[in-house]
Amino acid sequence: MCSSGAIHLCSTAVLALANLHKRYGDVVALDGCTFDVDRGRMLGFLGPNGAGKTTAMRTIFGLVRPDAGEVTWDGQPINADHKRRFGYMPEQRGLYPKMKSHDQLAYLGRLRGMTAKDAAASADLWLERFGLTDRRLDAVETLSHGNQQRVQLAAALVHGPELLVLDEPFSGLDPIASETMSDILREQAAAGKAVVFSSHQLDLVEDLCEEVAIINAGTIVVEGNVRQLKDAAPIRHLELEMDGDVGDLLDTLDGVGQVRSDGLRTKAIIDATTDVRGFLARAQEAGRLRHFSYTTPSLSDLFLEAVR
Amino acid sequence: MSPMGTVWQIAYREIKERGKSKAYLITTVLTLLIVVGLVVIPGLIGGGTSEYTVGSVGEGNEPIISAAAQLGNAADETDAEPSVSLEAEPFADRETAEDALELGDLDAVLVDGEEVIVESVGGFGDSAVLSLLQQGAASVDLEAIVSESGDAAADVIAVMTSDPLETTTLSGQEAGDESRGAVAYAGLLLLYMAVLLYGTWILSGVTEEKSNRVVEVLLSSIRPWQLLAGKIIGIGLLGIVQFAGTIVVAVIALEVTGSFELPSLNAAAVANLIVWFLLGFLLFAVMFGAAGSLVSRMEDAQNVALPLSLTAVVGFFVSIAALSDPDGLAAVIGTFVPLTAPFVVPVRAALEAIPAWQYAIAVVLTIAAIIGLVFVAGRIYAGGLLRYGGRVKVREAWRSAGN
Repeated sequence: MCSSGAIHLCSTAVLALANLHKRYGDVVALDGCTFDVDRGRMLGFLGPNGAGKTTAMRTIFGLVRPDAGEVTWDGQPINADHKRRFGYMPEQRGLYPKMKSHDQLAYLGRLRGMTAKDAAASADLWLERFGLTDRRLDAVETLSHGNQQRVQLAAALVHGPELLVLDEPFSGLDPIASETMSDILREQAAAGKAVVFSSHQLDLVEDLCEEVAIINAGTIVVEGNVRQLKDAAPIRHLELEMDGDVGDLLDTLDGVGQVRSDGLRTKAIIDATTDVRGFLARAQEAGRLRHFSYTTPSLSDLFLEAVR
Repeated sequence: MSPMGTVWQIAYREIKERGKSKAYLITTVLTLLIVVGLVVIPGLIGGGTSEYTVGSVGEGNEPIISAAAQLGNAADETDAEPSVSLEAEPFADRETAEDALELGDLDAVLVDGEEVIVESVGGFGDSAVLSLLQQGAASVDLEAIVSESGDAAADVIAVMTSDPLETTTLSGQEAGDESRGAVAYAGLLLLYMAVLLYGTWILSGVTEEKSNRVVEVLLSSIRPWQLLAGKIIGIGLLGIVQFAGTIVVAVIALEVTGSFELPSLNAAAVANLIVWFLLGFLLFAVMFGAAGSLVSRMEDAQNVALPLSLTAVVGFFVSIAALSDPDGLAAVIGTFVPLTAPFVVPVRAALEAIPAWQYAIAVVLTIAAIIGLVFVAGRIYAGGLLRYGGRVKVREAWRSAGN
């Protein structure tokens, strides 16, 4: 399923959500939502609250049946066998509170078709990876919030899924846990898994993902390679810190939009087409230049632009 | 893994986790203790020898007291401890005997073989000794009359305590078959209790999974019907094991203490009870499971359970009606309604008051209803499980799982 906005090659797309529609009474949750994920790629799935992220993710597992449209894996409608090769971390975390963490993971491995032996071994492996080996026989409810999150992630990974779908995996994580989560996601993508996760932490997504899809009001409004999206943006950010009059200097440039200054540093939005090569030389002549940067807009900027 | 393999995985987890939970072990032990207590304690209180001391004032009291003791023990088995022992304590005059009675040293006072004094009438122990003494006095009088014709007192007493009429029934039941009604009633009561008790377990088991949100993780890998079936099988088996264990312990306790004579049952009667117990249990388990998926908090679970509990109550009362009138209209209608059939049919069958064709139709209808309900409940379950908040309406759950 190839969406018109997709920049990547269609042939590698393994998970495809095509033209999904879903209404709950008067509320439109999905309105033609379309995007793909490739093997070995990580897709950041972004959107404001209530835009349809969770609904879209749930359609992958048949947890929500779309009114129209289709979700496919390798070109086939998703069936029970496919689902056992997927890993899902729902936004609402949930485990059996009184079950031992090891037993819980082994059980989920079993449900997804692993043998008892493999499931137990994999459960131990993931607990070790998260430093929870000594807590393996403790009930999940006795673990700290952070450790419960780790077990929850392990629950999505225990059976070695080909697709990982994580709904807000970074929410509520401290910086260290966040780092571990990032490492694991990178590692999974590097191992050839398709990874989709939603997040509101745009800096993190920008750092982690090559590709993003931004959903707004049930429709994908931006989709593609982060780098290319940024390059394709019609604006650039210019940042200056110098002695001398920045205002006069900026007047020498074409296509200057919003300018903001905190007294020390000045930030300006300029057209992407504006040539700044001569500008740097002029700035150096005008006074001592302490900082100069010319960048593509951040993912946050693209996001805000897309959903406004 | 095959679809049924997944169901067994779920059932196995329920059995393993729930079976070793404190709640299960405690309720099991408590139930067993209560049952044993119910059987043993009345035996301890009522069993053994009731000892009475009777004050004797004047002449002619001894024959009455010894006849009363003989009558009281007439129904005992040969080697058993006597049920009653009456001891006579002579008193010089009526006043001192009355004083002793007042103090509680005596249970009754006989005066000249003509009068009996007790502290009060209507009391528990006193009325037993009073009636024994009255019977004793009557048998002494009777003995006096018949001894003229040469019969011995023992023969008189033997005649008085025997069951002189042989009983035959129009329905062709053999003697002793009146216990069938008792068995049917017991089976009915057990099903009713099991449905309400273990139905609630299934309901709360489903609601629990919804309230701790693990259900979304589970349903990302397996189908709702597998989860529902696995839970019903797992919790149902635990319930049945606890229930059967309780019944076995109760039967053993009854046999050991001998406080109640169990009717002998033939294989067909046992099969009838077991088949209908399982059918009724499954039918209600499926409905309780679906109801549990409609609520996300345990507090709301009671509300959705109520209509189902009421259905069981209706079934219970229709079958009580069937006990007294097994061929009546209510009993016949109840036979063909799958929700009441598990209560009504076994009762009618135990009383041998159901034609074979009605029995067969009831089995078929109930099984068909269970299969139909599995589909309906499966869809309600699928639609209800991921809808949080208050109570999901059945219609909403049905719709959201559809199309």
